Amino acid sequence: MTDGAAALPAEAAAEPEWQRLHPATLALAIVKLGPRTVNFLPALAAIGIAGKWIYVLPALGAFLLISLVVAWFAWLRFRFLVGSDEIVIESGVFARQHRTIPFDRIQDVSIEQGLIARALGIAKVGFETGAGGDKKDEARLDAIGLDAAQALRTTIRAHRGDTVPAAATPTSGEDADEATASPATEDRLLFAMSPRRLLIAGLFNFSLAALAVVGAGMQLFDNLLPFDFNIFNPVDWFDLAERYGLEQWIVAHRWVAGVGALLSLLFIGFASGVLMMVLANWGFRLTREPRALRRTRGLTTRTDVALPVRRVQAAILVTGWLRKRFDWHELRLQSLARDGEKEKDHQVVPFGHLSEIDPVLGEIAIRRPDAAQPWEHSHRVIAAGGLFGALCAAAGGTIAMLLGQPLGGIGIAAGALIAAVTLFSARFHSWTDLPDMVAIRRGWLKPKTTLLPHASVQSVDLKSDFILRPLGLATLVFGVPGGSALGSHEIPAIPLATAQALRTRILAARSRA
Amino acid sequence: MTETVAVHPVDPFDAHALNAAEGLDSVDPAFSHVLRITTLFNMLPIAIGATVLDVMVVREVGGPYGLLSVLAWLLGVIAVVTFPARRAQRWGFKIGEGQLRVARGWLFRTDTIVPFVRVQHIDVGQGPVERWFGLSHLVVHTSGTHNSTVTLPGLRADLAAAMRETIRRHIQTDFA
Repeated sequence: MTDGAAALPAEAAAEPEWQRLHPATLALAIVKLGPRTVNFLPALAAIGIAGKWIYVLPALGAFLLISLVVAWFAWLRFRFLVGSDEIVIESGVFARQHRTIPFDRIQDVSIEQGLIARALGIAKVGFETGAGGDKKDEARLDAIGLDAAQALRTTIRAHRGDTVPAAATPTSGEDADEATASPATEDRLLFAMSPRRLLIAGLFNFSLAALAVVGAGMQLFDNLLPFDFNIFNPVDWFDLAERYGLEQWIVAHRWVAGVGALLSLLFIGFASGVLMMVLANWGFRLTREPRALRRTRGLTTRTDVALPVRRVQAAILVTGWLRKRFDWHELRLQSLARDGEKEKDHQVVPFGHLSEIDPVLGEIAIRRPDAAQPWEHSHRVIAAGGLFGALCAAAGGTIAMLLGQPLGGIGIAAGALIAAVTLFSARFHSWTDLPDMVAIRRGWLKPKTTLLPHASVQSVDLKSDFILRPLGLATLVFGVPGGSALGSHEIPAIPLATAQALRTRILAARSRA
Repeated sequence: MTETVAVHPVDPFDAHALNAAEGLDSVDPAFSHVLRITTLFNMLPIAIGATVLDVMVVREVGGPYGLLSVLAWLLGVIAVVTFPARRAQRWGFKIGEGQLRVARGWLFRTDTIVPFVRVQHIDVGQGPVERWFGLSHLVVHTSGTHNSTVTLPGLRADLAAAMRETIRRHIQTDFA
């Protein structure tokens, strides 16, 4: 994607301005060494087992020293240059890599700060170029001073700002499109999370996963904890009661111990939900900039990400069966860029009412279908896969029970549960076709609505198989740039003629501009 | 795309009828030979492995000696003789109206359409077996995560090259 044409000018003239990463980066390297020594543990253990304990400390020291020297060399051999219309990065200790990124090709600059980086006043800078593919391949500066990072972003933004008026020529048609598509000229706040909102969101974020971790940890460290108390163990609650002379009463009312355990379970579930929400979304701000949506958030790790509006491919509304009743929704945007290393799509509204989400959708020129919109349902046969799974689980359970393993009952129960959930959820698959986009709804426990503009669709599959074909049904699968947490976008099991008509209509759309 | 679809059953064993009903062209008949030879190369090691296992293990432990070998070779022969021709017949394609349409499979049939304007780049490839029969395969890359590559095998080399040229003329990127 990086073209050579813009990379020509005056490298020699700018030669003296080579910069290094912030020296504090080395301090960060030391911190990063911590987890890496884990790799070294087996070797240490081997030395220890061999009875040569005296060598353990020197070996560890040598390892740390070598790692530090390597980090130092890497730092020494990494330099970058901010030219007038490009950034040049040279890296590599032995194999040198020379990379030129023209400012024109930088969609935006993301800034990320971890806890330690914040203490040191440095930030990791990522350059978002048009190139799809692996995040590992993206150019990054890890790390430079925060003020330098912000200055760099301003420089690049200003450069792009210059090119917009000049770009009315067809040679850079993409810029011209953009100028007309995004009339916004100054930064506007679109959405923010107040502490109160964070608290509510956290309560809905009740997390059983964290609970499992805490439970496992309690089991594991039962003997190590300063207090000998496992909240999941009703016996411990008896002990507690005994200590306060409540023993007699508790024995008479055994259920109280159970309630105690349950209450603490609930408490941990809610507390971890709130904690996770606060850590991730503290100080959440979504602003509209001339060509991008910019999101800053995070308590410990603070991130500052810009999502170019033009590159948004689809919007996904996620809610829950309970939060839906209180009109709480989450908005994610799918684009070519990935959100950090983990997330495939960008969460732009973590927790908000539809009335707050609509303006955000408006910025990316997507309109939510109104209440009067008729939705068409997928055929119930989509439950077949889940039912087959349920059948397998039940069959396995039955065989286990026949072989005298009473735990097989779990399989049968799970099979019945899966079947019930699948049959019930199958009713919630529906879709509707709007003039320039298709909306797909699915799920009951966690309803998801995908708003997919026709123009984002790169290819369409029409699939049928030995179950759908006799019923005159087909499944449409859309190829859309960028990944989403949902995997692929599809409308399952709709009448063949409808599917073909829809496919024709979608493919007739012009590309998204 | 304007064809009326027979909701009802095209004879699954008459693949030409299948493609004709969906308005598709069939791939070159020689493609079945390519598939056959590829299948042969896949099945041969399995069959030989089964025989070795039979001789080395089953005979030693006194199991039903010979059963495994016969079964493996029989299945291998069936796979090589019968299926490739059908698999080849069930590939269909249509190029034109600004889009490429590729259909494959029967039990699980997938019918993909890629508009030319959405194509990022195109490959024409030729494996050693394909070369024997003068065939090529066309690979179309899109920027979609699903269907990032669409492969159409079993094209005569000159046809594949011509298709590439047709598509190439339409390629335009709309991403910055």
